[in-house]
Amino acid sequence: MSAIYLGEFEQLVLLAVLRLGEKAYGVPIRAEIENRAGRKVTVGALYATLDRLESKGLVHSWFADATAQRGGRSKRYFKLLPAGVEALSSSRAVFDRMWEGLNV
Amino acid sequence: MSDPPKLAEWLLRRLVGGRDADAVAGDLRETFEARGGGRLWYWGQALSCAAVRFSLYRRSLPGIGTDFSRAVRRIRRNPGYALTAMLCLALALGVHTTLFSFLDSLYFRRLPVPEADRIVQIDRKYGDFCNWRGFLGFRDGLRSVQAAAKERSGDYMEVDHTTFFVNLERVSANYPQVLRLGTTIGAWFRADANSMGDPEAVISYRLWQTRFGGDPGVLGKHVRLTSYFRVAGVAPREFTGSSSPMRIDVWVPLSASTPHDVDLIARLAPGATLMNAAAELGVVGERVRAAYPGVPLFQGAVQVQPASGFLWQGGREIFMPIVKLLSTVAGAVLLIACVNVANLLLSRAAVRRREIAIRQSLGASRPRLFRETLAEGLVLAAGGLLLGVLFGYGTGRALEWALPGVPFVLYQGLRFGIDWRVALFLALAGIVCAILFSLPPAFASSRKNLNSGMKGHDVRNSRQREIYSVVQVALSLTLLITTGLLVRALQHVQSVDPGFAIDHRLYVNLSAPDRGSDKQANTLLFSNLVQQARELPGVEDATLAWGVFPMVGVTCAGASRQTAKKALTNTVDPNYFDLMGIPIVRGHGLSPAESSGGIPDVIVNQTMARTLWPGEDVIGKTVWLEGCDGDVPKAGTVIGVARDAKYGALSEEPQAFYYVSRRQDSGGNGFFSLIVRTAGDPRQWTKPVLDLVQRRGGDLRIYDNGTLENAVALSLWEVKWQASLLGALGLLAIVLAAIGVYGVVACSVAQRTREIGVRMALGAVPLDVQWMVLAHGLRITAIGVTAGLFLSAFTVRLLRGFLYGLSPFDPIAFAAASLAWIAIAMLASWYPARRATRVDPMTALNYE
Repeated sequence: MSAIYLGEFEQLVLLAVLRLGEKAYGVPIRAEIENRAGRKVTVGALYATLDRLESKGLVHSWFADATAQRGGRSKRYFKLLPAGVEALSSSRAVFDRMWEGLNV
Repeated sequence: MSDPPKLAEWLLRRLVGGRDADAVAGDLRETFEARGGGRLWYWGQALSCAAVRFSLYRRSLPGIGTDFSRAVRRIRRNPGYALTAMLCLALALGVHTTLFSFLDSLYFRRLPVPEADRIVQIDRKYGDFCNWRGFLGFRDGLRSVQAAAKERSGDYMEVDHTTFFVNLERVSANYPQVLRLGTTIGAWFRADANSMGDPEAVISYRLWQTRFGGDPGVLGKHVRLTSYFRVAGVAPREFTGSSSPMRIDVWVPLSASTPHDVDLIARLAPGATLMNAAAELGVVGERVRAAYPGVPLFQGAVQVQPASGFLWQGGREIFMPIVKLLSTVAGAVLLIACVNVANLLLSRAAVRRREIAIRQSLGASRPRLFRETLAEGLVLAAGGLLLGVLFGYGTGRALEWALPGVPFVLYQGLRFGIDWRVALFLALAGIVCAILFSLPPAFASSRKNLNSGMKGHDVRNSRQREIYSVVQVALSLTLLITTGLLVRALQHVQSVDPGFAIDHRLYVNLSAPDRGSDKQANTLLFSNLVQQARELPGVEDATLAWGVFPMVGVTCAGASRQTAKKALTNTVDPNYFDLMGIPIVRGHGLSPAESSGGIPDVIVNQTMARTLWPGEDVIGKTVWLEGCDGDVPKAGTVIGVARDAKYGALSEEPQAFYYVSRRQDSGGNGFFSLIVRTAGDPRQWTKPVLDLVQRRGGDLRIYDNGTLENAVALSLWEVKWQASLLGALGLLAIVLAAIGVYGVVACSVAQRTREIGVRMALGAVPLDVQWMVLAHGLRITAIGVTAGLFLSAFTVRLLRGFLYGLSPFDPIAFAAASLAWIAIAMLASWYPARRATRVDPMTALNYE
C-alpha cells in the first residue's frame, strides 16, 4: 500500500535514527547499525542513503554548531519525519502480513 | 595520538564539499579517535565517499530532463544563433559523414552475399596466391574452406560495333556456389561449360541496364571480349564482384588453355575458424612458393583475411595518402566548426551574464549551471549531426552519381552508403564535438562572478573568444595554404611542356587478334590502314605507334650486356617523330625501308644518351635492349638522338627512353595506336577515322580513341581532383572561420555600444570608431595569420607526395593565402565596423 518502497538498508538506517532520537548523527547511527545488525557500514554509503532519504522527505537534517571536540567540526543531526515513520511502519506491516501463520 | 591523514581529509573536502564535508570529516575524526588510529581505515572511509559520489546513481541526478528541456527552450527563443551553430556543425559533420562512409567501404563493408562474415580473401602481399593449375590441384583437398579462384583484369567489350572498357573477373566455376550467388535472370556458368561453342559469361546488373537497356533478350547474345562469349546470366543487382573498389561488369570462367595467376575467395567450412583457414592455407601457400622458386609473384607472405573493405589490394594503397590528408583536413574543419560554436555559446553566456549572476546569487550551484550549458551543447550537436547526416547523405549520392563519369575505373565503383558503423562513428564524433565546444563556455558561465556579472563588460570572456578566433584563423590559413599549394602544383604541372605536339592530333587504339605465327598479316593490315588514313580528306599525315601518352613500355637497356637499367620504350613508324613534333637532335631518324633480321636501328632520347654514355658521342654505339632480370639482351645500333619528352605523366622526371622501328621489330605487332594529324579540329575526324577502321581494318578491335590534347588533360585529372576536393574543404574552413571573426568583432561592438556612444558624444568622428573596430578584427587576424604561417611550416611537409615537384614552401602560395585571409578578415570586420558608426549617442547611453 505504501507509495514509498524502502530497501533493507534504508530500513536499518531509519530504525537507527528512530532509536537514537535526539542523538542521531553520523557516528552513533553507524555504531547502532554495527552493534545491533552486525553490519559494517562505510561513511560514504551511510551519507548517500541519508541524503536519499532526505530527498524523499523521510528524514530531516540540520547542522549543529561546531564544538571544540572532533577537530572543531560540526555535526549533522537527523530526525525522522512523519512520512518516515509511516514508511517504516508500512514496511513492517508488509513483512508482518507475509509472516502471518508461518512458523519456521 | 596521531591526526587523521591530511591528504585524505583534503580529498574528502574536495569531493563532498560544503558543510556536508565538515560533518563527514567530523564523524570520521571522532571515530578515528575513538578506535585509536587506523590511517588505512580512514582512507577506506574517505574513498567510500568518493565511490558514492561518482556512482551511477549520483550521475543520473534528478533534473537532467529539466536541463535538456531548458536548453531546447533557450534554443527556441534564439533560433538565429542556434541555427548558425547547427549549420556550422552540419557542414563539418557532413564532410565527416562522407569521409566515414568512404572509410567504411575502404575497411569494413562486407560483400552483399549470405553469411558474408564467413567469407575470407586469400592472397599474398605483393603477388598472387597461386596459378590456376595449382588451384585445381589443391582445391578439393582443402578442409577449412570452400575456395573459388578469381583473377581480375580489364578488357574491352564490343557490342553492336561499339567498344567500351569493362572490368572483368575470371573465376572458377564454383565461384557462385562459394558466394551463394543467384542471378537476376539466366544462370551462372556451369563447371562443364567448356564443352561446346563459345564460353559463357555473366554480366553485371549495371552493364545490363546501361548497355543492353535491361532487355531480357540479352541471354544467349554473343559479346566480344578478347574472344567471343555467350551471355548466360545477369548477376544480382547489388553484387559488384569481389574486387572492390573495382566494380566488376563481366564474369567469365577461367579457361584451361591459357595460364592465369589467381587469388582465392573462400567460405569458411562449417565449424572452421579464420585461424584454421590461415593455418591450412599458409601450408598450401608455402608449397606453392617452394614449387615456383623463380616466380616473384608467388614469393610474398600468404594473407588470409575476412573479406571486408576493399578486396583489391592496390585499392587501399592507392587511396591511403589521400585518405590521410583528407582525414587531417576534415578534422581541422571540424575543429574550426567546434570553435565557432564554442564562440557562439560564449557570446550567449556573455549576453546571459546578468541572468546567470542572479541565479547564482539565488543559490544555483556551479555544477547545475555547468550541466545546463553542456545540455545546450548536446542539443546543438544533435541538431547539427542530424543536418550533417542529411548533408553528407546528399553529398554521397551526388558523388555516386558523378563518379561513374570519372575517367579512372578505380573511382567509378566507390560507394558512400551510411550504415550502422558510419552512424556510430558520427554519433561519437558528435559527442566529442559537443564536449569540446561546450566545456569552455560551461566553465565560463559557471564561474562565480556575482559582482562583475551584474555590471558591464567581462574581459575574460571576450579575451577567450579572441583566442578562439585566432586559433580558427591559424587553422583555416593552414588549409588555405594547403589548397594554394595544390593549385600551384596543378599550375606547375599544367605549364610543363610535354615535349611533343598535342594539337590537331587524334589517336585510335587498335588491337589485332592473335594469329599465331602469321605476323605478316597483321603488319600488312596496319600498314594498309595507315596508308588509307593518310588519304582521308583533311588528314595531313598518319602514323602508328605502340603506345600514346600516357602509355609506355617498361623494359631495360644498357651500354653493355651486363649493365641493364630501367628504360621506357615505344615501337613507332619512321614518320612518328615528324608527326609528333619530336625533333631528332643528333644523327638521323628511322629509315622508312622495310627490313627484318639484322641489328635494328635505335633512337635514344637525350636522357638515355647522357646516362648510358656520359660525355661521348652516341651515334653508332651498340645498345643492349630488354636485358631485364637476367633475360638475354638484344643488340641495337644507335642512329639518332631524339629530344626528351614526357612519356607517362607530365609530372615525371626525365626518363631514359628509346624508340625502335615498327618495320624492324614485330614486338608490338598485335597492338598499335593509329595517330593522325588533321587540318582542323581533330574531333571532327573521329568518325571518319573510326569508319575507316571498321571498313578496312578487318577484324581489328577498337579500344579507346581521343585527341592527344584530351589524353594530356586526362593525365592531370587526378591532380585537379585532389586540388578541387581540398579546395572545397579549404573554402568551407574559410567560411567557418570568417563567421568566427565576424562573430567576435560584432559581439564586441554590441558590448561596447555604450562606450562607442560616449566616444561619439565626446566628439569622435565615425572614421575613428570604424578604425577602432576594424583594428580589433585585424589584430586578431594578424596574430592568427602569424600562428597559421608557423603551423603551416610544419604541416606542409605532409603534402610532399601531392605536389609533383613543387616545393612545399612555395612563397607564392604562402603569400597569396595570407593576403587572401587578411582581405577576408577585413570584410568580416567591416560590416560590424560600419554598424558601430551608426550608433546614435543618445540610444547608446541608454543601452541596457
